[in-house]
Amino acid sequence: MDSNILVQASSRLQPLMVEPSSGIITNSVVSQISAFVYYNSQVMANVMDEPGFKNKFNSMIYTQIEKDFGNYIDAKARTNPRSLHHVYEWNRAGESSARLFKLNRLNTDQLSFKVLYDFLPSKSFAKSSSKRRHVFTNKASVMEAGMPLKIAPRHSQRLVFEVNGYTVYMPKGASVTVKRPGGPGVKNSFQMSYSHFFKGNLVNESIKRSGFQNLFNSSLSKALDLPNNIKTVKYSFSPNAIRSQAKAAVSAAFSG
Amino acid sequence: MVNYSKDAVVEIRNYLWHKLKEENVLSANDYLDGNGNTIVPIIPVQQVPEMTTFFLGPTTANEDNKTHIVYDKIGISYEENWAICCEQVVFTIYAIDYNKITIMRNFMMDLFRRMDDSAKEVNAWSGKSQEFKFHSIYIADISPTQPSQEIQGFLAEEIVLELKYSRHANFQGRFI
Repeated sequence: MDSNILVQASSRLQPLMVEPSSGIITNSVVSQISAFVYYNSQVMANVMDEPGFKNKFNSMIYTQIEKDFGNYIDAKARTNPRSLHHVYEWNRAGESSARLFKLNRLNTDQLSFKVLYDFLPSKSFAKSSSKRRHVFTNKASVMEAGMPLKIAPRHSQRLVFEVNGYTVYMPKGASVTVKRPGGPGVKNSFQMSYSHFFKGNLVNESIKRSGFQNLFNSSLSKALDLPNNIKTVKYSFSPNAIRSQAKAAVSAAFSG
Repeated sequence: MVNYSKDAVVEIRNYLWHKLKEENVLSANDYLDGNGNTIVPIIPVQQVPEMTTFFLGPTTANEDNKTHIVYDKIGISYEENWAICCEQVVFTIYAIDYNKITIMRNFMMDLFRRMDDSAKEVNAWSGKSQEFKFHSIYIADISPTQPSQEIQGFLAEEIVLELKYSRHANFQGRFI
């Protein structure tokens, strides 16, 4: 809901909260009810702009999504290592400490955020039958993109490697192209799992589990608790004072 | 003495196998090993290497025994109410026949989509251990059927179940 519309609508209550100079009002009911509704609408309008509320919304929900997404990919990788081994360190598919992916939160001006992902550099040595060991730093991103790899000798004259138990000696200076690094199942598989998680029901389950709904309910009911001066029978209320009280109540309810 | 080897997911796995047999979706006779023992075709992912030969090996009578399910826990959490455990489990159905995988998926959906009613049925099953009481079981997610990258020639489909359950406890809240 747009808080400006609420503020605009509730502003029509302001004249009803003030005692008219002609002295027509003989009881406090109209001004009392107007002040009550005005306070509630000000609380609701302030919630969306309250930095404490935004911070909690972003951090609680994102933290849960990050945890659940990681666990989901880990479980998928254990069940389908051929599809997702590339987003883990070598031979450690499904281990949370070996992940080569990381979610990032991109906050927006409004009450929402985007969740993107990055691939992390691999730090472990690539599996190799030769004595020379190397680190395939961009393992995850290269394999996910299905980019063909060209391997050329750098420190020696020729490439030597094993295929199906046979040692292959390449001609001097010749390179080898790996058409599908990581195997046929890895291309875009992380992206597909990411899309499935965020476009399907799993992200909703994660938001529910974050506990934000409970916190929102309890904090809002705290903020909506009427201050004593509005509960007191009076013939006139100050809209400015009610606005300040509503703002302070929202701030107190969502802080800490 | 508390039996800590009991696990709620294993209860669900046993119940699922019982219902698959009872409703003739799968037959125990298709899953006999060389010694005449039944191999339950619902296995944890940690046992896949040992079971691969059985499920992927040459078949004698028919190919029904290739259909199997691999399961793994996604995560377990306790909320503010520490008496109720919330657990997510992914079941991956493998079959070589598209029709078979459809049957398996729809059967599991039918069995587990009804939240507290599904839980009630599991609780009422006489084969369940007395340690657990299920409160709710539902389908959190179903992925589309795809050719499996793990097992050539197989189709695979994932079903994520969300389980809410309690384990019976004493007055101090410890498991009994």
